[in-house]
Amino acid sequence: MTTDVRAALLAADPRLSKFSPLPRILAFDDFDSGTHGWCELLGNYNGRGDLGTVDAHMRDFRPPQLSSCTFFDIGTHGAMSGTYALKLATRPYKGHTAVAIRRLTMSGRGLVQLETYFAFKSEATLGGGAELDTFGDVQWDGNTHPSEAQFGAFTVATDLCGDGGLRYHTVARYQNTDMDNRFTRQWIAPTVPEPTPREHFEGKVKLEYAADFTAPNPEDWQAFGEPQELCYNEVPTKVNWHYLRWLVDTDARRNVELQVNDRVMDMRDVPVPPYEERYETLENLLNFYFSVRTHSSVRNFLFLDSVLISVDW
Amino acid sequence: MTAVLERDTTFDKDFETEPYEVAWAGEARWFVQLVGGDGAARFVTQVSPDGITWCDLDDASHVAGQGELVSWPATGFGNWLRVRAVVEGTVQVRIHLAVKA
Repeated sequence: MTTDVRAALLAADPRLSKFSPLPRILAFDDFDSGTHGWCELLGNYNGRGDLGTVDAHMRDFRPPQLSSCTFFDIGTHGAMSGTYALKLATRPYKGHTAVAIRRLTMSGRGLVQLETYFAFKSEATLGGGAELDTFGDVQWDGNTHPSEAQFGAFTVATDLCGDGGLRYHTVARYQNTDMDNRFTRQWIAPTVPEPTPREHFEGKVKLEYAADFTAPNPEDWQAFGEPQELCYNEVPTKVNWHYLRWLVDTDARRNVELQVNDRVMDMRDVPVPPYEERYETLENLLNFYFSVRTHSSVRNFLFLDSVLISVDW
Repeated sequence: MTAVLERDTTFDKDFETEPYEVAWAGEARWFVQLVGGDGAARFVTQVSPDGITWCDLDDASHVAGQGELVSWPATGFGNWLRVRAVVEGTVQVRIHLAVKA
């Protein structure tokens, strides 16, 4: 009976009925009403606030913006719900990544689910010559648009730690193009843990500006699922919202599955490599991040209409 | 909300900050610090209809010397804000934009 009442209440609420939450909703972030704790990620710095000690590849992840999805051609597009969405925007610099992170802690172990409605776009190009009608695999033909090939990748990921400092990430990245701007349209995940500021401090790793902070070596990524074409919708100024549902298990420290629109991908065999060394000050860490990385010299945007995080504990 | 649009970034030539969306905001104020370098810079607020094409908001310019924090409001803006900077020598800048509904 309780389950039926809950299902009816969720179904009757237009804000929640587009989601499929687990029993406890930890966060419901409708970006029409603010940023809800999604903020810029920054690498660590020393005890004097010297930002020169921040790792070069983690010093410029850009502040998330409340966007009305306004464009040069049609004006304000608006979000899926209301006017504003959360926008992550890269610089127009090949390899640059924008990251928004949300910081929670765990009061239990078990299933954790993140759901969102998202859209991805490249910044429109205005002016120039006929050579700009071609980019990567795409020749403007009235349907396909070079803008789509100017979009690199977006990522949803966690940063999790507990049980005596055992830290690990679960990661799912949609790679739209490779670094040569050729379509791959493939979901991928890293086979190594993300390089950390402590590893830099200890002299183990030093990465350059615009390195891929999640896993810098392209060979340390592996595909899962089949290639998936999403709805870029032709030009850089049409925003179509996609559903994403991602389930992880913090008891087993594993991925479970990823749903993106009508595709459900089994992620149980996707590796979740933990750090070999234990971390302090992170007990029960439950962080989520979204990132967007441009593989061209064009700004890339990831728009989030809303995010719902729920758990079974 | 406060956004850090440049975080101790070093410039030795003129520059503009990245576009920042402020459609939801009714008030905005810039805070610009020169935290390093040997030069000086002059800053002008810019606005845009689309985040791509820009013009100056007004005739005001704001000069920051070494170690100084300068601040000024922006009013009557549209959906985007940025600043452009005219740089003499080398400057290391920290730029905050504070916006309110």
